[in-house]
Amino acid sequence: MINFEINGKAVSIDAEPDTPLLWAIRDEVGLTGTKFGCGIGMCGACTVHVGGRATRSCITPISAVEGTSVTTIEGLAVEDNHPVQEAWRNLRVPQCGYCQSGQIMQAAALLEDIPAPTDDDIDAVMTGNLCRCMTYPRIREAVRQAATAMTEGGRNNG
Amino acid sequence: MIKRIFWTITATAAVGVVGFGVYAYKPAMDPVAAQDRPAFGPEVVEQGRILAAAGYCSECHTTADGAPYAGNYAMETGFGTIYASNLTPAMDTGIGAYSVEAFRRAMKEGVDIDGRHLFPAFPYDHFAKMSDEDVDAIYAYIMTEVVPVEQETRENELPFPLNQRFLQAGWKLLFVDFDEYAFDDTQSEDWNRGAYLAEGVAHCGACHTPRNPVGAEIASDQYGGAQIDGWTAPALTADNASAVPWSTADFKSYLTDGVSTYHGISAGPMGPVVHAGIRELPDEDINALSVYLGERTGGNEDDPATSTAIVSTLERGRPDPQYRRDAGERLYATACASCHYNTAQIEAGRPDLGINSATNLDTPENLIHVILDGVSGPEGIEGVVMPGFRDALSTTEITAIAAYLRDARAGQPAWPDLSETVSRMAESAAHAE
Amino acid sequence: MANLLSRLRDSNAAQSENNTAGSDLSRRGFLVAATAAGAAFGFPLAGYAAMDPAAADGVPVSPTGETFEPSMWYWIDSDGIVNVNIIRAEMGQHVGTAIARILADELEVAWENVRITHVDTAEKWGTMVTGGSWSIWQSWPVYRKAGAAGRTALIEAAAEMWGVDPSTCQARNGTVTDGTNEVTYAALVAEGLQRSFTEDELNALPLKPHEELRLVGKDVTALDIDTKTNGQAIYGLDASVDGMVYAVPMIPPTRLGSSVISVDDSSAQDVKGYLQTLTLNDPSGTVPGWVVVLGDSLMAAKRASERVVVEWQAGENAGVNEDDINARSRELIADDSYGSILPADNTDTSAAFSDAADVFEAEYTTQTVLHFQLEPANATVFQNEDGIWEIHTGNQWQSLILPTLSAALEAPADQIVMRTYMLGGGFGRRLNGDYAIPAALASKALGGKPVKLMFMREDDAKFDSPRSPSVQQLRMAFDGENAVTGMDHNAAAGWPTQVMVPSFMPKGVNDEPYDPFAIDGADHWYNVGAHRVRAISNDLANATFRPGWLRSVGPGWTNFAVESFMDEAAHKVGMDPLDFRLGQLTATGMNAGSAPNAVGGASRQANVLQRVADMANYGRTDLPADTAIGIATTFGQSRSMPTWVGGAVQLHVNRDTGYIDVQKMWLSFDCGTVVDPDGALAQCQGAALWGLSMALYEGTRFEDGNVVDRNLGTYTPLRMIDTPEMEIEFVESTEVPVGLGEPGTTVIAPAIANAIYNAVGSRIRSLPITPDDVLASLAQ
Ligand code: FES
Ligand code: FES
Repeated sequence: MINFEINGKAVSIDAEPDTPLLWAIRDEVGLTGTKFGCGIGMCGACTVHVGGRATRSCITPISAVEGTSVTTIEGLAVEDNHPVQEAWRNLRVPQCGYCQSGQIMQAAALLEDIPAPTDDDIDAVMTGNLCRCMTYPRIREAVRQAATAMTEGGRNNG
Repeated sequence: MIKRIFWTITATAAVGVVGFGVYAYKPAMDPVAAQDRPAFGPEVVEQGRILAAAGYCSECHTTADGAPYAGNYAMETGFGTIYASNLTPAMDTGIGAYSVEAFRRAMKEGVDIDGRHLFPAFPYDHFAKMSDEDVDAIYAYIMTEVVPVEQETRENELPFPLNQRFLQAGWKLLFVDFDEYAFDDTQSEDWNRGAYLAEGVAHCGACHTPRNPVGAEIASDQYGGAQIDGWTAPALTADNASAVPWSTADFKSYLTDGVSTYHGISAGPMGPVVHAGIRELPDEDINALSVYLGERTGGNEDDPATSTAIVSTLERGRPDPQYRRDAGERLYATACASCHYNTAQIEAGRPDLGINSATNLDTPENLIHVILDGVSGPEGIEGVVMPGFRDALSTTEITAIAAYLRDARAGQPAWPDLSETVSRMAESAAHAE
Repeated sequence: MANLLSRLRDSNAAQSENNTAGSDLSRRGFLVAATAAGAAFGFPLAGYAAMDPAAADGVPVSPTGETFEPSMWYWIDSDGIVNVNIIRAEMGQHVGTAIARILADELEVAWENVRITHVDTAEKWGTMVTGGSWSIWQSWPVYRKAGAAGRTALIEAAAEMWGVDPSTCQARNGTVTDGTNEVTYAALVAEGLQRSFTEDELNALPLKPHEELRLVGKDVTALDIDTKTNGQAIYGLDASVDGMVYAVPMIPPTRLGSSVISVDDSSAQDVKGYLQTLTLNDPSGTVPGWVVVLGDSLMAAKRASERVVVEWQAGENAGVNEDDINARSRELIADDSYGSILPADNTDTSAAFSDAADVFEAEYTTQTVLHFQLEPANATVFQNEDGIWEIHTGNQWQSLILPTLSAALEAPADQIVMRTYMLGGGFGRRLNGDYAIPAALASKALGGKPVKLMFMREDDAKFDSPRSPSVQQLRMAFDGENAVTGMDHNAAAGWPTQVMVPSFMPKGVNDEPYDPFAIDGADHWYNVGAHRVRAISNDLANATFRPGWLRSVGPGWTNFAVESFMDEAAHKVGMDPLDFRLGQLTATGMNAGSAPNAVGGASRQANVLQRVADMANYGRTDLPADTAIGIATTFGQSRSMPTWVGGAVQLHVNRDTGYIDVQKMWLSFDCGTVVDPDGALAQCQGAALWGLSMALYEGTRFEDGNVVDRNLGTYTPLRMIDTPEMEIEFVESTEVPVGLGEPGTTVIAPAIANAIYNAVGSRIRSLPITPDDVLASLAQ
């Protein structure tokens, strides 16, 4: 039994310890917003947050997340209204949408660390997330927009 | 997991002095019944719990699925396997029958209740530095809090004559200083407290001090850095390879949170040292340790954020549109940079690999271990995980990433035999936890 | 001239739409009648097999109260909700939103009240295919008429109710009014509606004039966006059926002709959750020599498969390499008896070349390219309680794979239904639904038990139907005045259509069939005198792998040759490449174009080329050293539905490293009416970046009968950091809307090759263009 939290709820997974977190989330917990693209940590489709940090779940064994707190796209914001999600909708970023859970989770983590990213920052962090539909120009724009929204929101909150 | 094995046994061959038998002989001590043990106040028990943690007792005396302190943890040596003994207060198979004096003798002289010499896989050479009061507190804790479990300790699997315990006495004679820690008047109170902890209960030197061919710590090279279980325990001296010298503040955060922003995280054998050990100490003690270690490594207390090393590593980490020209650089940009990239300053949660210990050490093992198997939630920054690329990337790809980091990011001379090392480590099973 | 689409239609009597504005809507008539509320969607025996991308559970909206179903394309319920049936697959083009808006505009309903349903594969829907950038082009006339029929019926019902002349009434926003009275569609539907139209009546229905279109050409909220930002969109990978087991395939050494000699699963036995290993017996012949490993979880199946030992007899092409395939292409090109000659005003170039004062020739090659759609192939298959086989997967060409599934399952077609999920990328990979076959066979072997079969990424690459490597040899004849008098274009590659649907191949002027998807683009709109385009099927490629349709298909590589060659030819005769092209886009003869799809012909291509040259300030002389702009122009997918494209790329070449820094790309499109402006832009952005990716970063090779690059460690598509600035414009137009998913791809590679030449004088004739190629060329 491996125990951890997912989107604030405690879960116990009865699976081999080397089971990738991705498949535990998708097939054991039943949250399918997190996607499988490459299985080798090179596309970012499976990105979730572990302890608040973007983590590629396809190469993270569940044994490693014992006792941690995992967040998936379904748990990023209660009303699905994280500023990153809002920006993604405003700019209609998704095409097929398959990479976008991972993109959004990665972008949300980026903005935690680097609230006002430069284009270089966005390139450096988001280059790990492949979008086969090539929505990159819009992702770039949406990250900028979300950054602005978040810093303004921050200011408003005093 | 701390399971460094000392090659003490070979020392026996060197010891043939007259009168040795006399020296080696230790009498058995009387057993005590459980009800005859003295009663301990809760503060003493608590102090003992903290010290037991800071000495990582349970790390070596507990198997992966066994009861705490029940022993049988297997330590592999080049000659055979030694099994850690049962430390629970069980009367027949544990240490339940130890009097406080017998326990002290075991801890500080390496001799068990029956008068048998213990293998120095058990670091009595460090515990000898402890005060009796502290040793007694550990006794109090074990006898009070640890649940007795009757479990026979397995026979060591050592060939004759290496299995002859009395021969350990010769090793002791040659290499062990049994004196308690002596206060150094030229140093501060904090420094002395730190030194007492580091050299005593925390036995830092057991991993960080290199050993001679027969497995004894080389006193003249204290904290000079050493190999342990395929990892490198970096030097805790001015020879430390870090790009940014370790300061007291760095040690403080490392020993408290498992991470130093400018050096890295506590992974591998160091993981439990911090997370299951040192962290339990009161703040003043961690401070003291940090003062002591900071002094030893000679780091100054300037804020490194504006240092040349940091400024230039950030510069080298800028995204480069030509990242595809080198396979290592390309793989890094796509598999690693999302988490490791830093912009104007270095975030603790984004270890910068240009200045990280793992990329600046003379040996690549620490880096390769982490690339292969990642860092689990309880290690490093607690609750944060680094995935492992063992099943994801080929040895060629991992070699390329490591070579890129070493060269282009750390700016250090290439590691010799890097690809062989990666292949060897990739072939051996994931390190046991 | 052959029109592939009409063949496609003819092949299916149930086909109910037409690509040509103004012609018949449906062979079976167009029923406008009231239907009772009830199952308006789905295959009744199969439970729900339709999908609503906007719904978190994917289950389509159910009507409230009475419904009015003016055609099978939609219904309106008593709440005024309009549900539009979409037969296209959603793979990122927001196709449901685009099509529903065509209908909603003509029907005059508010966008908030519109829902979409991606339908099941019941026969009534006709041919189901999503590809070729056809969706909007084909749907435009169909859904406009359907909308007009509904609007007319509702107006007539209101007029009758008020006793007024229908011509005094008008509909707007779901409400009919005659100036005095007002009634909502919802109320009219609740009253019950009965109205039918003959085909002639339908054709006579007035369509709204272009300037009154209220939704077409405007930005509306796409209906599939929300669920793609919160993890709720349901892809094939997310299919879940009670009691299902997981399967991973073990793919034989060759795509064709392999067979299993022995299977030993003894060391898989102690993998927890391992169930069994099946050797597939495939009556359809799609997956010869396949072994499938089953587990109660995906990882159990996968870990077990790592321990199952299979001995195969490989097919005979197990030793084939990319070089062998290209050598075969050259051999075939050299023998004039092979191939099919495409129609042109004059295909006899012999005189032009024998009389030529000067001849210029060049050879271009392109490497194998993987689809690498981000969602690896997968399918879930089971037999439901009613005995119907349900295929749950994402697919672009249901009509193509259903007969194969029928053969594999040995079940009649009407016992098989496909539920089409959102596609985690199509790009042509899912036109070929072969990946559903092993899942179906595994389920069949288990007596219909649900099996979810998933390809790990490496398996997906190995089983891909990649874009074939190609070799093209072009030559051009000039007279004494340097005027162009003739052009030959010989193109050899594996032919997807020949392998998968040979019946869809039109015949060339020499009566030989050809695969339009392996030659479109070579039959360009330049007036070059005699023009002989010879399309050649590479038999070795076809026998080694299954060539695939990949985003922009033939034009993705034929235009690399044509547009590089035009530049080279211009330089050869000392002309500016822009002027040289414009001089031949004279819109005469066959290149004058024809209604309805290619009105204006080459003159529209000349227009976008000139526009993009202006946008990019082509010809400017103030660029830094080793920096230049290159141009190219293409006509999208095919002569029958040209989307005119002009492209320009500015780049810098690093002479030390060979690195090509693409600084900016400009594109000008003339695609007729733009239905969904934002969606159109998104498609063009993506297409152009695909073009860039395949020009510089993507390509693999066949080695020992299979592709060598199978995952992102070595296969390296374009990423964020490689993404340059882009400027894209659409020419204002009221012409028939044509496709946009692919055309943007086709101009980029040649524009880059031309820019490199302009920057440093190196001519590179192979794709992808790597820094090593640049360095080698510079060293010459
Ligand atoms: S699926 Fe995890 S990074 Fe690609
Ligand atoms: S939107 Fe399709 S892969 Fe990114």
